[in-house]
Amino acid sequence: MTEKATQNFIETYERTQARLPGADSWLSRRRETAVKAFAEAGLPHRRLEEWKYTDLRQVLEKAAFAPAPAHEGAVILPDSRSAAAFAAIDRYTVVFVNGRYRADLSHTSRLPKGVELHPLVDVVHEQWARDLVERRLDDGRQAENVVDLNTALMNDGACLRIRKGVKLDKPLHLLFFTADAGASHTRNLILIENEAEATIFETHVGAEAGFANIVTDVSLAEGARLGHLKLQDEATGAVHLATMRTRLEASAHFTSFTLTLGCGVSRGQNFVLFAGEGAEAHVNGAYALRGTQHSDQFCVIDHAVPGCTSHTLFKGVLDDSSEGVFQGKVIVRPHAQKTDGRQMTQALLLSRNAAMNAKPELEIYADDVQCAHGSTVGELSRDAIFYLRSRGIPELQARQLLISAFLDEALDLVPHEMARNALKSLTDDWFAEARA
Amino acid sequence: MNVKETSMLEIRNLHVTVDGKEILRGIDLDVRAGEVHAIMGPNGSGKSTLSYVLAGREGYEVTEGSVRFKGRDLLEMGVDERAAAGIFLAFQYPLEIPGVTTMTFLKTALNAQRKARGEGELDAVRFLKLVREKAKPLNVSDDMLKRALNVGYSGGEKKRAEVLQMSLLEPALAVLDETDSGLDIDALKTVADGVNALRSSDRAMVVITHYQRLLDYIVPDVVHVLSQGRIVKTGGKELAHELEKSGYAAYGADAA
Repeated sequence: MTEKATQNFIETYERTQARLPGADSWLSRRRETAVKAFAEAGLPHRRLEEWKYTDLRQVLEKAAFAPAPAHEGAVILPDSRSAAAFAAIDRYTVVFVNGRYRADLSHTSRLPKGVELHPLVDVVHEQWARDLVERRLDDGRQAENVVDLNTALMNDGACLRIRKGVKLDKPLHLLFFTADAGASHTRNLILIENEAEATIFETHVGAEAGFANIVTDVSLAEGARLGHLKLQDEATGAVHLATMRTRLEASAHFTSFTLTLGCGVSRGQNFVLFAGEGAEAHVNGAYALRGTQHSDQFCVIDHAVPGCTSHTLFKGVLDDSSEGVFQGKVIVRPHAQKTDGRQMTQALLLSRNAAMNAKPELEIYADDVQCAHGSTVGELSRDAIFYLRSRGIPELQARQLLISAFLDEALDLVPHEMARNALKSLTDDWFAEARA
Repeated sequence: MNVKETSMLEIRNLHVTVDGKEILRGIDLDVRAGEVHAIMGPNGSGKSTLSYVLAGREGYEVTEGSVRFKGRDLLEMGVDERAAAGIFLAFQYPLEIPGVTTMTFLKTALNAQRKARGEGELDAVRFLKLVREKAKPLNVSDDMLKRALNVGYSGGEKKRAEVLQMSLLEPALAVLDETDSGLDIDALKTVADGVNALRSSDRAMVVITHYQRLLDYIVPDVVHVLSQGRIVKTGGKELAHELEKSGYAAYGADAA
């Protein structure tokens, strides 16, 4: 018997399919296939190795989210520090409320020539969008069932195409705001053509309990560059599932950074496929959790061709009864010589009840490679705290200094300076808030 | 002369246990402003324990006796409170603090102490000027200040950084724990010059050392011999030279 949460999603599909973008096109057929695959597999659960630490089925059974309503009319964006984190940066802004694009709240005028930015519904008839949606990454199969769910129900998203050689002059900021409780399925499509460049910020905020299932498909052509930065600070009743699938052609360059502060349960999945030589991917992140928050970072980096570089560092601070998970895999295929693959995860436990599960893996089938992985879990050094206090620094300030120093090693990897400083002040505040 | 009234640091019958083992077994010590006291003794005699008890490290249980600093009950004060009141411990093994630059650390410490004393915090410009002024005679470069505190510092650099902290924080009482360990003669001279520059009539120092060598450069007013948790002899600076010749065997300890 199909469990309730899975059944609810299938019913939502049956009820709404005619109104979803791309009805009566290739996409409706694609949705049909996806929903069948999803119905067969159901929501992922802990008996699957990849979902061992995050039982999405159980989480969604308990929460029972109805589809998020369209939020008509005025919206007051939250006045939180996270929502305003990038406010000082000159940028284009695209706002989604309950997973739906809001032109009235977005600012995208004067985009450079060669930059196309549209909501999903406007690009479903374009071939490039279809290619991205239909693409399957060999390494991404473990993500496929949640991607299938997304494909079946996706109703909006930001779709960005940057033509050959064009550089997006300002960061593009995608702000996702949950105004009402409910489930939403967002699909972002990003195509950066040869030698083109873009920087994208993503912010996810909201005071309401929602389930966001976001899939972002990225294609970086030869020599293309994408800097991606994501800040997730949603309500503690919210469940956040984000899957990013990035394919890099020769000499492409991808940096990704995720800062996770919010949500009761969150999982970030990052799948990177190297399809051309000499490409580089930096997949990094940091998280600071408290209460009973649970966050799972899942990365698969597939070196399918020679001479590519991938570096991954995730650092997290866990307080109270929070739980962190890192699962990472670097695959080096038989002909992928001269691969440079590094992966590291480090967690700092601030409480006896906090827990960290780390599973870094290497799968290497080539012999001339440089690969390393590692994992550490520790607590604040009492000796270090004593040393700082012996210089007159009060204990709370000493702890904050050490925690910030720990997270900064990861945050320092954010290439955009103003954004980096904005994230640093958020993590500084995180600790101050806890003790306020 | 009434010693009690003028002592900056007054230790009476101090007994301290660590992990249930008694390490200090009745220490009496009076240190007045302007004085430099040397505490010498073999390994395991309790020298470092005394320095940690003064700084307030956890795990050191005072079972008997008292410590007063500037008339206040030191043992009732927290670690950072003691620092703000004017106690500074130069560590034998300064800790490495990855991710916190020496500059940030110095600024945080100085401003925390100023705040605790009700003084205003220094702004960035005034702070920078002050640090450069204090760093120069100690050969502490801007590059060192930009690096993470003590991370990758040589033994000499760590000790110079300790003296820089002391110079910046201007404590009333400086306790130097084996400041000579791991230093070659040139580094030792630089460190000793830095310490000597801080000698003043309103500041006291307690120099803890195993060897007499350091005391050739930081000349003490009083020398105490610590053995098995007690001060067994007190004398002038010449006592250090005697010890160098005869060792600690005469004081009921191994000549370690």
